[in-house]
Amino acid sequence: MKIRPLNFQLGLLLIILSGCSATTTIDEYRPTDQPIVLNSDEKVVILGRRDAGHYETDREFIECVSKKVTSGAVKILPEQRFIDAIYPWFEPRTAPKGLPRLKRLMQQSSIKAKVDALSIRYLVWLDGSTETTGQGGSMSCAIGPGGGGCLGFAQWDKLSVYEATVWDLDELVEKGRLRVDSEGTSYLIGAVAPIPLLTPVKNDACNSLGNQLKSFFSVE
Amino acid sequence: MKKIAGLVLIVFLAGCSSSASVKISTAFPSVVSEPKPIIASILIEDSFATYVGKPNKNTTIDIGASQVNLLKSAFSGLFETVDFITSLDQINPETDLIITPSVLEVQVSTPSENYLNVFEVWIKYNLEIETVDRTPITNWFMPAYGKTPDSFMASKENAIEQATVIALRDAGAKLMLDFYRIPAINDWLSRQDIKQESR
Repeated sequence: MKIRPLNFQLGLLLIILSGCSATTTIDEYRPTDQPIVLNSDEKVVILGRRDAGHYETDREFIECVSKKVTSGAVKILPEQRFIDAIYPWFEPRTAPKGLPRLKRLMQQSSIKAKVDALSIRYLVWLDGSTETTGQGGSMSCAIGPGGGGCLGFAQWDKLSVYEATVWDLDELVEKGRLRVDSEGTSYLIGAVAPIPLLTPVKNDACNSLGNQLKSFFSVE
Repeated sequence: MKKIAGLVLIVFLAGCSSSASVKISTAFPSVVSEPKPIIASILIEDSFATYVGKPNKNTTIDIGASQVNLLKSAFSGLFETVDFITSLDQINPETDLIITPSVLEVQVSTPSENYLNVFEVWIKYNLEIETVDRTPITNWFMPAYGKTPDSFMASKENAIEQATVIALRDAGAKLMLDFYRIPAINDWLSRQDIKQESR
């Protein structure tokens, strides 16, 4: 059988591109299948955990998840606006790590009044990071009077692990948890010009987590 | 075209410079709290209001004005009545506490020093706390810490500014969280309650 060069190239491209997709797993826990019902005035705030020493949940990821959830008619209060409005009780040093501390905070009338004034009903904590777990290959680039170019091959693996915890600020209980694990390998092929084949691991984690979180809520 | 190329080169080289001079002019949010019925005088000395930290020979951080703004907001959340004074002769005779803040040290750590992809800033404060008759209650050491999320594509000046703002916010949080937990303050407060009850 004779393989035509165009088909071979297309096949090769498909194999390479399929190698650039991330594998994403979502684990979900919630006490009921029913969505959390929000009335039209109630809002949700999504906050990143920033108390760990070696990583902090990046704002870009929070914004990405917020955008996904907002697209489902759920009103989201921007993270920094909430943190400033309730200063200093959600700074890395003071933010409640568990429900007992949240309950103590909400017993303070000034804090409760502020949360009510902002119409925040649910708080979603996002905790996690994206890390490069392994890398290999080598690439060298050179430039001279006649031109330049790169030759070689490099690859790296990325792993995104994020956990979302939903707190009800009215009933002061946990409403559910979500965990997303997304991993994938990116490649850089040096064939005169460097050709990046990037796997959107973090973006995949954001899309999956955002869509799943959106399904947690329904607006009356 | 040459001008643009020159400008681009200057921008790149500026990003690589090892010295940084930062002035913090960020506004801080007002605090959410329930102040106690205490009258306090906060003595803001000139050296505090104009403080410029020099963590190393290449770095200066002007935090004077912003730390005054931050402490004004934080102390107003701790005490029902707060007077900010610049000298002792302005003290209100009905004052319960006189607090004199000072900066002991500012430290900076860069990615090349800490082998992390972050800039870190520590501000070490001391609060000298006295009664109105100048009897010392305590000297409270109050460290504050801030770090950037990462240093990717950030200039040294921007990164240090960002970390310093976070450290200043942390100072406000530390003050609000821990002031009434200082054993000497707790003890002083309980004695005030006894005095009021015996009146």
